[in-house]
Amino acid sequence: MSVRRYLPHYLMIAPFMILFAAFFLYPILSGFYYSFHDWNGVKPPAYVGLANYQKIVVSRDFATAMRNLLTYVAITVPLGILVALGLALLVDSFTGRWANFFRNAYFLPVVLPAFLAATIWRWIYAPNFGLLNMILGWFGAPSVNFLNDTGTMLYALIAVDVWVSAGFNMVIILAGLKNIPAELYEAARLDGANKWQQIVHITIPMLGPVLFFVVTYGLISAMQVFDKPWLLTGSSFTSYGGRRNALLFPVMDMMGRAFGSVRFGEAAAYGFLLTVTIVILTAAMFGLRRWRGWA
Amino acid sequence: MKTLDKLRFGVAGLAVLFALGTSGPAVAEDITLQYWVYSDFGQGDALALQQEFIKEFTAKHPGVTIEIVGKGDDDLTAGQVAGAASGNLPDVFMNAQSVGAQLVEIGALDNMYSKWMAMPEEFRAQFDQDALKSCMPKPDELYCLPYTGFGSLLFRNLTVLEKAGIDTTKPPATWDEWFAQMKQVKDAGMFAIPDETLVFNSIAEIYATSGGTDSWGFDWANRKTRIDPATMTKVLQKFVDMKPLGSGTSRNDQATKDLFISNQLAFHTIGPWVNPTYEEAAKASGLKYDFVLIPGDEAGKTGGIRSYEIVGVAPGPHADLAFEFAAYITEKAQMARWAKLLSRYNANAAAMADPDVAALPLIKVSVDAAHGAMDVAAPYFVDSVPSCYNSTVIDIASATADGSSTPEEGAKEMISQLNDCLAK
Repeated sequence: MSVRRYLPHYLMIAPFMILFAAFFLYPILSGFYYSFHDWNGVKPPAYVGLANYQKIVVSRDFATAMRNLLTYVAITVPLGILVALGLALLVDSFTGRWANFFRNAYFLPVVLPAFLAATIWRWIYAPNFGLLNMILGWFGAPSVNFLNDTGTMLYALIAVDVWVSAGFNMVIILAGLKNIPAELYEAARLDGANKWQQIVHITIPMLGPVLFFVVTYGLISAMQVFDKPWLLTGSSFTSYGGRRNALLFPVMDMMGRAFGSVRFGEAAAYGFLLTVTIVILTAAMFGLRRWRGWA
Repeated sequence: MKTLDKLRFGVAGLAVLFALGTSGPAVAEDITLQYWVYSDFGQGDALALQQEFIKEFTAKHPGVTIEIVGKGDDDLTAGQVAGAASGNLPDVFMNAQSVGAQLVEIGALDNMYSKWMAMPEEFRAQFDQDALKSCMPKPDELYCLPYTGFGSLLFRNLTVLEKAGIDTTKPPATWDEWFAQMKQVKDAGMFAIPDETLVFNSIAEIYATSGGTDSWGFDWANRKTRIDPATMTKVLQKFVDMKPLGSGTSRNDQATKDLFISNQLAFHTIGPWVNPTYEEAAKASGLKYDFVLIPGDEAGKTGGIRSYEIVGVAPGPHADLAFEFAAYITEKAQMARWAKLLSRYNANAAAMADPDVAALPLIKVSVDAAHGAMDVAAPYFVDSVPSCYNSTVIDIASATADGSSTPEEGAKEMISQLNDCLAK
């Protein structure tokens, strides 16, 4: 009886479930299987237990990639959201044509192909005559090799990342801002609240669910950072990560192991470690939301 | 001449089919071959010529269709690796010699030796013997047909050199002469050269001014680097000396090309692929430039590296036909047409000796450059080069140039780290 009753429902979700199983579930499960095998993609996989995981965890590249990732995530996510929030508030303060203009202008980097964005930034960062070094030169500062000085490389990447991601986050936050009832601000103004107090006591709390989405999505994206450091360092499967691996990140390391060294078992294990980390982090975010009552 | 070549090729093709006994199935049924090329070979004039080759080949092979697909460097490798894993490899494909070992390891490359040996001597003799040897890790193994290639060149901005008071009619014959010119350029307020320590190939190019193939690359039997410490010390000193004269950009940066085009950079050591850009700039903005051999430590020795793009064939039911096609496109008549169209050096020595081809200025210099250059990552097709190898060379070369250590210490440290990297 209940099968007959719910059959149309099952049929309706079947297309999604089939595609989900074929292109998501199966790759995950087979990746998990191969992570315990020595496998180059062609030869029959040989069971090696936890050896792939062990090899990765003790490797110097893994430690470097994780250290870079931690610093990158810790800076880029909050900074990106702060910038996006600032831009959203700025755009929200305009109406009509100007609001459209600024919204489109800030969103432009999001639609720019990554290789083009990297080329532009490689020019901006170029030593001696790049835009940034020209500005530094006006103040008498010496030329900085932003993409080859290990002290600046990570921050150079973060700037690019914030530039790209701010537009995307801004649009989402802006949608959230539009949903905040105007009466709340009116009431606050009547009570004598200034602009800053309105932001702190109305805007940010009311944006809670939106900010939760932006932070969670930002974290997941940041954990998988790949294309920007790859392009900024001119990486290839034979050489990646930039000078002294200052821009080496887990997905780059994983790709190098898979397609540069054809060690797919190891790459699968790497992918699993990363997936588990992301799942734990996301679960922690949801736990935090429930605990703080943002749900 | 062309008719004679076609006739020779026809005989050669028949000999292969006869020797392999597969002439029946190769043409009796409808077959589609997947042919993957570099993205720049899959667009514009290059694509039109490739399609002409395909048309000519399929006209002689009724029922055969060849689909050409252009892909970027990493996409080619990733696609071939994924194709090998899924059993869906392209039948004929290009790639770089340097990834040959990975492709052999995963079974993406057919050992074409028997097919090759079945070809007439006349066909086999057309190829540059050094290039051919690089496809043969063992005497009875042939994993590629060498295709296009390069020997690195020294592009000179003549306006910059003239402004610096340098006689441009006499290219520098030795490293000392070249370095003196670099200093003159810098004294005149312009950039002499890109930062040669930022890219593995540019480090190799400068190493070749002092060393050669025998002291570069890999000793795979003992899993050690072949880099000679004394030569590397000398080369690291060159990087230290060049540091204040450079633009700080790498040889591959768009900014480097822009500096060269805008008359702010004197020298650019790179392969001939930048020539179309500079040629265009010469027409559009009056850029005055030429290309000469990279001078070595002594007169007569040249620096620079050489490498080839390869044509490989996947093992499988269509391997014979795929080899036939690979042989067709690498044969003299096709390679001469290719060279004339793109002014690009290739591994068919007979095509390079063709008077019409040899008269092309870029080809003429490229032939000399390739002959005097150092193999960039030899020996090929033996083992995959770990990623730590190239990054160690880059890291230590650039750190030494920055003054983190002396050239002697840098060379010692580099060799020790490279041996550790290969030992893993």
